[in-house]
Order: sequence, then C-alpha cells, then structure tokens
Amino acid sequence: MASKALPQAVFITPRSSNQCPPKKLGLSTFPSPRSSSLNLNRLSTPRFSSNSFGFHFRPIVVSPKRFFILKAEADSEGELGPDENTEEEETVSEIESEVTLDAEDEAKPPRIPRVKLGDIMGILNKRAIEASEKERPVPDLRTGDIVEIKLEVPENRRRLSVYKGIVISKQNAGIHTTIRVRRIIAGVGVEIVFPVYSPNIKEIKVVNHRKVRRARLYYLRDKLPRLSTFK
Amino acid sequence: MTNTVTLNHLGRSVFGGLGNISSGSLRTSLDSTWNNFLSQQQQRTFIQMRTVLKVVDNSGAKKVMCIQALKGKKGARLGDTIVASVKEAHPNGKVKKGEVVYGVVVRAAMQRGRCDGSEVKFDDNAVVLLDKQGQPRGTRVFGPVPHELRKKKHLKILTLAEHIA
Repeated sequence: MASKALPQAVFITPRSSNQCPPKKLGLSTFPSPRSSSLNLNRLSTPRFSSNSFGFHFRPIVVSPKRFFILKAEADSEGELGPDENTEEEETVSEIESEVTLDAEDEAKPPRIPRVKLGDIMGILNKRAIEASEKERPVPDLRTGDIVEIKLEVPENRRRLSVYKGIVISKQNAGIHTTIRVRRIIAGVGVEIVFPVYSPNIKEIKVVNHRKVRRARLYYLRDKLPRLSTFK
Repeated sequence: MTNTVTLNHLGRSVFGGLGNISSGSLRTSLDSTWNNFLSQQQQRTFIQMRTVLKVVDNSGAKKVMCIQALKGKKGARLGDTIVASVKEAHPNGKVKKGEVVYGVVVRAAMQRGRCDGSEVKFDDNAVVLLDKQGQPRGTRVFGPVPHELRKKKHLKILTLAEHIA
C-alpha cells in the first residue's frame, strides 16, 4: 500500500515543498530521473488507492494542492517531461473534486477557536488586567527601579499615603502581580509588598533607576542602611 | 540577619583551610556550604516565649523578653499585646530590670497581611510598653509604626509616632 502510494506522493512533494513542509511523509528524497516505462506501469495501480490516500491527505495538505493545481496549469510545458505531465493532469482531476468541497468550507464563517480548559485562567487574568489598566495605566516596573507609590488606605481616608523605595523583587502572577519595595524609614528598614493592579493604589511613578545585576535584591537586607535610603 | 553573615565567614574560612586537598572533595564540601548559605533566608515567625524585643519608647527599658503572647496559639504578630519581662533597662527610668510588663508589638520581622493584599514587614522586633488599661507608659515613640495599631485602638501611640508606615 505504501509503496503503491509512493509514486503519486513523490510527484506531489516537489510542489508542496516550496509552499509548506510536507507533513507526515518521510519522503524528502526521490530519484529524479525515472524511466518512462516505469512511470506508465505504475500509473494504473495507484489509481484506486489515490482516493483514500488523497482523502487521508485532505485535512493536512489542503493548501499545497491548490497551489499545486495553479502551478501545474501555469508551467505545464515548462520544466516537466511528458510523463509527469500526464500523471499530474490525472491527479489534478481527482483532486479538483476535493478542492471544490474545500472551497465550500471556506465560504462558511471561520470557526471560532474553542477555549481549552488550560487557558481559562490566563484569559481571565488578561481580562482583569485590561479592566484595571483602563482606570489607571501601570508603568513598566523592573527590579532596581526607585519608585513612588501613592496609596489610599481605608483607615486613613483623609489623604493618600506615599511610599518611596527601591523595588527589590517583582512576582508575576497575572492580576496579583506584586512588587516588594524597600526603604529605611526613621532608622528601620521596612519592606512592603504592593499588588500592582490594586484599586487602592492611586499612582505609581518611577523616579529613578539603579543598575542592578539581579532579579531579587534580597542582599540589601544585609547591607548598610545607606544603600536603602531614599530621600 | 546575622545568621547569613556568620555562615558566609564560615564558608570562606573552610575554603581557605581546604586549599591543599584535591579539587574533587573540595568542590563537594563547598557545594554543601553554599547550599546551606542559600537556604539561609530566614523564615520569620511569630513572637513567642523567650523572644527578645527592643523597646522603642522612653519608659526606661531597653530590652524585654516575651513570656506570653496574649492572643494567638502560635504566638504574637504585629499589633498584638504580649506579657514580657524586662531584661535590660536604663539606670534611672520608670521601669526596672526584672519587672513584668505588658507591651504591644509595633514592629515585627514577620510579614503581616493587610486587607488589600499588601504585606508589611520590618527589619526588627519592637514593642511599646503599656499599662494594664492599654495606655502607653512612655511619652515618646521612636521609629515607624504600622497602620494596624489604629484598628487595635492604640491611637495614642499613633499620635506619638514619628512615622506611620
């Protein structure tokens, strides 16, 4: 079966390899000079198998067939010998029926991609982030940024609290993306974790940037307080 | 904080001493010391019995040791009251060494979550001494204090504080 189907596939692949890589067939090479008698003998046999093989082909190699047909009509006399020409015409007739069916499928509206179970959280997170970005755009934050955050505290509703400091880490988790900001306040080091997309945060502003060679700057806890002080 | 520093020194001295041994065994011992070093980021926990805390008011005490956390089975957190014993005191202050006092934790190395999803943690553990009624015994408070005290009704401490974190 496979050997019988071979010659037909073999003649199709040189066309399709230009447009898209041939799938499922390990038929990258074939001996190009073929004796004419061999071809004519082999022609009849793959006929009955061609339909099944072509049908098998259909969902995967739809486009190259169309290209294949155009090209065959364009340079029917150009590069090919007469043997291959006749073979292609026959295969073209067989494929034409299948191609018309494909054309009908394309006329229908394109299928909506089905949402896979694994993607749902990603989609929900993206929606939530977009909703929060509309109200307040979030700047691009990286570790080492010296940042100023204006926060509305439910207990202290009179005015906004301001927090300044260096971002020592950023944890990406969709809507709960957090940044950890460190500062020395009144002689004591304080680290606060802020959820970046929280509605309580009224403003985030990057005032400066310090060159760091790490993603998490936990070493600052052991260093001199001078390195974590920001006016 | 000091744990990581001492282990670093230890690692360096071990490396120096093993300089004459073949490289294979040297690498394995160095790996184990570096593994210990890397896993040394302390997991801060509650304030429980025998925890020594700093006193940040001018009541006269300098260091107290917790003998009981009044709320919480595992220990006290930021904003909770504790019973403590004074271990170190200023020579002439209102509070003497060996006295049993009440205090409220105003700074804790363990992070405390807030209702909006943020977390706050300080670099040290500190208390402000109180009397039985919950009023502070000192007249000044040093360093930052958290918002959590407002909910626990320690408003006097908030007004005395230098900075509200």
